[in-house]
Amino acid sequence: MNDKYDAIVIGAGHNGLVTATYLAKAGLKVLVLERREMVGGAAVTEDVFPGFKFDTGAHCINRLHPTVISDLQLAKHGLELLPLDPAVFSPGLDADHLLLWRTPEVTVDSIGQLSEKDAKRWNGFAALVAKATGLLESIYSTPPDVLSKKKKDVWELLKMAGRLRRLGKQDMTEVLRVLPMTAVELLDEWFENDLLKGTLGAVGITGIHQGPMSAGTAFLFLHHQVGAKQGVLRAPLRARGGLGGLSRALESAARSAGVEIRTNAWVERIIAEAGATSGVALVDGEEIAGRRVISNADPSRTFCGLLDPFNLDPDFVRRVRNIKFKGVVARVNLALGELPNFSCLPGDGPHLRGLISISPSLKYLERAFDDAKYGELSREPYLEAVIPSSTDPSLAPDGKHVMSILVQYAPYNLRDGEWDDAKREDLGDRVVTTLAAYAPNIESAILHRQVLTPLDIEAVFGLTEGNIYHGEMTLDQLFFMRPVPGWARYRSPVEGLYLCGAGTHPGGGVTGTPGYNAAREILKDSK
Amino acid sequence: MGQNTRYDAVIIGGGHNGLITAAYLARAGKRAVVLERRHLVGGSAVTEEIFPGFKFSALSYVVSLLRPDVIRDLQLARHGLELLPLESTITPLPNGDYLMRGADHDETRRELYRHSPKDAEAYDDFGKLMYHLAFAMKHILDVVPPNPTSMRPRDLMGLLRFGRHFLDLPPEQFYALCKLMTMSAADFLDEWFETEPLKATMSASGIIGTFLGVRSPGTAYVLLHHYMGEIDGVFRAWGFAKGGTGAVSEAIASAARELGAEIRTEASVEQVIVKNGKAVGVALESGEEIHGRVVVTGVDPKLTFLKLVEPQHLPSDFLDAIRRFKIRGSSGKVNLALGELPNLTCLPGKGPHLRGAISISPSLDYMERAYDDAKYGNFSRHPYMDIIIPSMIDPGMAPPGKHVMSIFCQWAPFELNGGWNDEQREAFGDAVVNTISEFAPNLKNAIIHRHVVTPWDMQETYGLTQGNIFHGELSLHQLFFMRPTHPWANYRTPLKNLYQCGSGTHPGGGITGASGRLAALEILKDW
Repeated sequence: MNDKYDAIVIGAGHNGLVTATYLAKAGLKVLVLERREMVGGAAVTEDVFPGFKFDTGAHCINRLHPTVISDLQLAKHGLELLPLDPAVFSPGLDADHLLLWRTPEVTVDSIGQLSEKDAKRWNGFAALVAKATGLLESIYSTPPDVLSKKKKDVWELLKMAGRLRRLGKQDMTEVLRVLPMTAVELLDEWFENDLLKGTLGAVGITGIHQGPMSAGTAFLFLHHQVGAKQGVLRAPLRARGGLGGLSRALESAARSAGVEIRTNAWVERIIAEAGATSGVALVDGEEIAGRRVISNADPSRTFCGLLDPFNLDPDFVRRVRNIKFKGVVARVNLALGELPNFSCLPGDGPHLRGLISISPSLKYLERAFDDAKYGELSREPYLEAVIPSSTDPSLAPDGKHVMSILVQYAPYNLRDGEWDDAKREDLGDRVVTTLAAYAPNIESAILHRQVLTPLDIEAVFGLTEGNIYHGEMTLDQLFFMRPVPGWARYRSPVEGLYLCGAGTHPGGGVTGTPGYNAAREILKDSK
Repeated sequence: MGQNTRYDAVIIGGGHNGLITAAYLARAGKRAVVLERRHLVGGSAVTEEIFPGFKFSALSYVVSLLRPDVIRDLQLARHGLELLPLESTITPLPNGDYLMRGADHDETRRELYRHSPKDAEAYDDFGKLMYHLAFAMKHILDVVPPNPTSMRPRDLMGLLRFGRHFLDLPPEQFYALCKLMTMSAADFLDEWFETEPLKATMSASGIIGTFLGVRSPGTAYVLLHHYMGEIDGVFRAWGFAKGGTGAVSEAIASAARELGAEIRTEASVEQVIVKNGKAVGVALESGEEIHGRVVVTGVDPKLTFLKLVEPQHLPSDFLDAIRRFKIRGSSGKVNLALGELPNLTCLPGKGPHLRGAISISPSLDYMERAYDDAKYGNFSRHPYMDIIIPSMIDPGMAPPGKHVMSIFCQWAPFELNGGWNDEQREAFGDAVVNTISEFAPNLKNAIIHRHVVTPWDMQETYGLTQGNIFHGELSLHQLFFMRPTHPWANYRTPLKNLYQCGSGTHPGGGITGASGRLAALEILKDW
């Protein structure tokens, strides 16, 4: 064994890089090992077809933790965030459409075209969302150890209760009432227009095997709004050069802090003995010694794949095996010869710069889910598309475009057999057909098409069952129950082994928060 | 009785909770009167001779949750309450097989082993866990939910006791409870079992009375809610009251009368009379006014606050909250008078299995598809059904040699596409009979009379708004301190001297009597 590292991070996803950088800044000797030839995990930009660059994993950033941006000086390391404005363009089945902008007043005007009543209620709704997300943000640090009798932990718990109470009587009950609701219940209380409700409700189902009529979807909707400016909902960012631009900035920050990064280094197992870890072994047989191992991989992969379960209490293993993954997301990437031409809003325009959401109504989303419940691909899937080349021409050859589409629902476990080439193409066809109903020129505009099934997503990005969140973001798998009850504080039953990925609190999305929280906890233990 | 009559307490509605409140108030020396709109007491817990010689528990048909305190305090056994155990549940399967679980532990184990050795092993552990969880939860059935926003010592102490109670549970149970609160019944059961009919039949307890499917988060809690009945040591299992469910109401009414309460039937309350901001009595449809120091409503929150009390007497945000209270009815009831017993294909002849419940729940997908129909406003073409044949255990319910069959079915949405009418009612009855006939082909010929109760009928005949059997859905945001709405979960209302004692208050539906008892105790505290 060569000289020993203080910390080995498995996986150079954005959270892994964040953790590594914080640890290196605190003076630790850190090594990051990445299986693929590039860093970034699911935040990468790849040349899929010559000249056409795609964000093959995540295709936008909901909210990057502001402390992480400033602590790691990401701007200095080349990160340029591009706000999408309008944030969302949602074509309806009739001639109508909805645009949500980054300026609430303009959004209100756009909603007013669909419903005067809903336009009037927008600000009230935005205020409720702001209160709820404010509360969520305040608990997005390390979850308390709820069962601990230690004074320190009890105090933390009381502090959290205090924060809740500080909202004031009325807001507190309102927030508590809303969190466990369904997206349908929440949105029906406020709005009447189907297109508006569908467009907002879609956020509540993204990445989970649930429809908008399932409890917990109101929470996921709110989760994705944390950090958003009041009145600006569903407003993600992009990074210049694609999401790979973010990963490159993180890589640069990490290296300048002294982190060593090795790509094409595939970890086969975590070395553990007598309840403690001492390093990792690579697929090629190399063993690397480290005082701590921090896994950016999901909990299932970490504890049931990389670690010999023999090192773990069977009860803990059972809990890990019971984590619900149920991947439902597929990706279709299109290289386009021309921009799609939407019937409801023809021609080029600002509407093509933001997210394009095919979510005409909540019922549409629920029906899409119905198919998935029985292990079938949605006949009419929910689509979330972006055309990054419309604002960042470097991503495609002159005059040409790239369009990436998140598709739901494509269940990982199909009722009849596994995913194969025929099913993959069928998926691609359904997406194009669905899109063509709104933008008829799409079929003829396609130059190349890449389809990633949940199985492909699992294989390429190492995400168990293709789940983009490293474990479903449902109420029973959140907070002090994420990844498993009792082990929500980034530590594990194996001494020296930590988790820093989206499988930990507060979960998925390109936020950097789990990585940031994990680094803080690891450093606490190092003192 | 004239206008001058003045009672201590006027109770609206002679359902079991109203009767219990009256009995407890009378026991404390108060002059209480119960006013029931129909010709018989019991509300939804009534026995009616719908066809000559055939007696039916017209709506509610099993007893399991009745609080032991109530049984003891009111000496219900002395007043004629006799419970006959329902000893088994059989789930017939489309392939001609069946799954049967009974009171005999070893027999059930052998039967489960036949389907899956793994499930047979897990069954006991599962039962133990549920026993402990139900035991832990039972505690909250018998207390007034503390108000988390209040700073009053009483609420703070209540919260602390609440917290202590749960945090002192063994970690395994605490975490299981946390997950249970938000999971779906199907996911929860999937963690334990693999036999489809077993999971489906058990999951049914999670959807009874709700507008949710077995895969909807939140249903695992309802499952537990129904488990709580099985543990009191008074009745070890779901039971059937001798003489039908009406016998429960009769026993309570008899106890109330003996304690000095007055009960008037065919006394339909039209309005709560308010003077100087206080409830002072009620006006009947006949024009008669009945005055009391307090008024207690046993009917559901919507009926009470949106119909019986004039809106100017209630704060507008309270009224908004009551309007938002979810009370969608989802169940129907079919009562059959039979010339002969149904002959199950899977287990022919008259066996002991006909003395228990027959559950039409062959698989989780079957359950889920039944729910899918309802989501879009149709009744289930193949509904979930819980069937009992009361005349098998209580021959007095039907003429000699004949039988009565009680069929509880889901889903039948109150908001049916096109609305409920006679034609739809019969079509629903046909769907029920046709589905059972697939498992018992002789049923159609055996039917002498058929009585179909739709959610619409439940509203019109039994006064249940939207036909919701629980006076409001048992979803997470409508439980505990939020039932029916915060901060009025302590049986009081914004209108002084008006109290609530029905299932729309904590702990919710089922024949528990907990609401009625707790309401009485709170009223006496204010006296």
